[in-house]
Amino acid sequence: MNQFIIIFKKELKDILRDRRTIIMMIIVPMVITPMLIVGILKIQRMQLEKAKAKEIRVAFLGKENAPKLYQIFEKGEKIVLIDNFPEDSITASIASEEIDGAVIVHSDFPANIESDRQGKIEVYFKSSEAYGSAIKRMTDLIESYDEQIVEERIDRLSLDKDLFDAVAIIEMDVSSVQERIGKIAGGYLPYMFILFSFMGTMYPGIDLGAGEKERGTLETLLSSPANRLQIVLGKLGVVSLSGIISALIAILGIYVAIQMIEDIPADMLEVILDMLGFRIIITILTLVIPIAIFFAALVLSISIYAKSFKEAQSIITPMNMIIFIPVMIGLLPGIELNAKTALVPILNVSLASKDLLAGTINPFHLVEVYLSLFLLAGIAVWGCVKWFNREETLFRT
Amino acid sequence: MITVTHVSKEFKLTKKSRNEMGEAYRNAKTITAVDDVSFECPPGRVFGLLGPNGAGKTTTLRMVATMLKPTSGNITVAGYDTQIDPQKVRERIGFMTGQTALYDRLTPNEMVRYIADLQGMNVKEFKSRRDQLFDVLDMHDFANRRIARLSTGMKQKTSIARTIIHNPEVIIFDEPTVGLDVMTSRRIIELIRTCREEGKTILFSTHRMEEVKLLCDDIAIIHQGRLFFCGKLEDFESQMTFDSFEDEFIHMTTEA
Repeated sequence: MNQFIIIFKKELKDILRDRRTIIMMIIVPMVITPMLIVGILKIQRMQLEKAKAKEIRVAFLGKENAPKLYQIFEKGEKIVLIDNFPEDSITASIASEEIDGAVIVHSDFPANIESDRQGKIEVYFKSSEAYGSAIKRMTDLIESYDEQIVEERIDRLSLDKDLFDAVAIIEMDVSSVQERIGKIAGGYLPYMFILFSFMGTMYPGIDLGAGEKERGTLETLLSSPANRLQIVLGKLGVVSLSGIISALIAILGIYVAIQMIEDIPADMLEVILDMLGFRIIITILTLVIPIAIFFAALVLSISIYAKSFKEAQSIITPMNMIIFIPVMIGLLPGIELNAKTALVPILNVSLASKDLLAGTINPFHLVEVYLSLFLLAGIAVWGCVKWFNREETLFRT
Repeated sequence: MITVTHVSKEFKLTKKSRNEMGEAYRNAKTITAVDDVSFECPPGRVFGLLGPNGAGKTTTLRMVATMLKPTSGNITVAGYDTQIDPQKVRERIGFMTGQTALYDRLTPNEMVRYIADLQGMNVKEFKSRRDQLFDVLDMHDFANRRIARLSTGMKQKTSIARTIIHNPEVIIFDEPTVGLDVMTSRRIIELIRTCREEGKTILFSTHRMEEVKLLCDDIAIIHQGRLFFCGKLEDFESQMTFDSFEDEFIHMTTEA
């Protein structure tokens, strides 16, 4: 049997017996991905419901100047009206959250409305309060009052309603549901699998490099007939595979998460599941393969240079941050896949996945992305092999 | 047979190591770890490479085992040049250090199989050699337990088995008894003796003088990378100026 295969099989067996690797490679992406997606959506919804259900206390000053508005507020859901609140303590009371808002209708208001002019109503609120919903609820009620007045005026003067709505905008969005979802959610999907493909390479990479040094087994391996190229390739194969599996599990996690979100409309769910179809997933995975090989070569090079597991960990962990800069750039609006961005590693994976999910990928750019990624992976593997051949790296003291 | 001819090894110095090594190395670009060393280890004899820590013993052994390349000079092992045919050399050596150097998550059976596979042994050959070694070392009871859960003695037995599973012509021991208890050290010494009886070439580094007397037929004394003595143990003893071996050794290395 070729030495490369012997080393690959042994390293695979070895890391699959390591609890830390299993946790990072399988459990974390499987559990964290759905938890993140479903959890964030659930919390958002819960906050919204809480905001709706919250009873707000509103001081209403000048009730006699706008009795109809007062009635509307009285009928408003979950609103407690407070009359005769001292005007000079309104600001302080809202700041201390004793009350949630205040409406002041001044004495000139009825005269202005009667003479068909504009009446002014002051609304006090605190935008920084936990739910920030008091202002919306108060202005919604005032706007409905405003509509009543305008309608009365139109009727009285026998005018046409269209006089005030000169232009009606009819929005005709030509993008498909897939395109819309792809552009919004598409940025987050690569974020997840790039993160996990890197994290998947971390522990095995450290274990198979620095770990080997720490255990003293490196000499055993180096004094075997396997040459250094076979040793590095065997190790790289396992570390890359671990990154790929991690990314794949993260994608599966997203798939599971989508099924767990309760209130996605059926037609949208159909589009999403269609987007995450076999062909797209396979294409995305082919993008993950070179990026995982690149990560594996990078992690293994550092790991083999480090004297101990701890040293390797302390160099590799902060790299998480560096790798995510291009991923985050990919999430910015206006950054599109073009001939130039297709050449920027990691960023190109992020942008290409977005376009793949939206169904708007330009085949020329995709080819460019593949070329750039395989070239990068090739350089990283070559560098790793060279690095492994340096006596100063292997026997660094 | 191992032949080491005028071998030197220099290591590049980094700025950090220059600073750590003090004034003498302030402007040095390299450090000579082994300086023009020559010796010969014939089969069926135990050759002891002696010297204090940092003398250049491990570097010499690593060069013999093809892990490091000599800066000058050449080494042949079982008739093969370490720089021209490194793979052929590695097929003929077993390398053992003081560390057990085992994979914790494998079992002794898997560990030994891994090395046998790398050495290109066929299954039949492997099974018969493994059974023979496991019998001699009394390893059957823990052969399928994870190495992490084994005692130091069991680990040491596994380490011995993996070193000689492919029945190498040449065995290199780099301070194999460092940090071991008396019982386990004794087992290693027995292994070295058995290998000698089998006519293998044994190169063994140590700084324990009692082991030298117990085992060695030939010795080389190395200090600061240079050879101070190379010859038969009895020749060394006959020219000693001090009563004890240890005193002679200390005298020799401090004089240098």
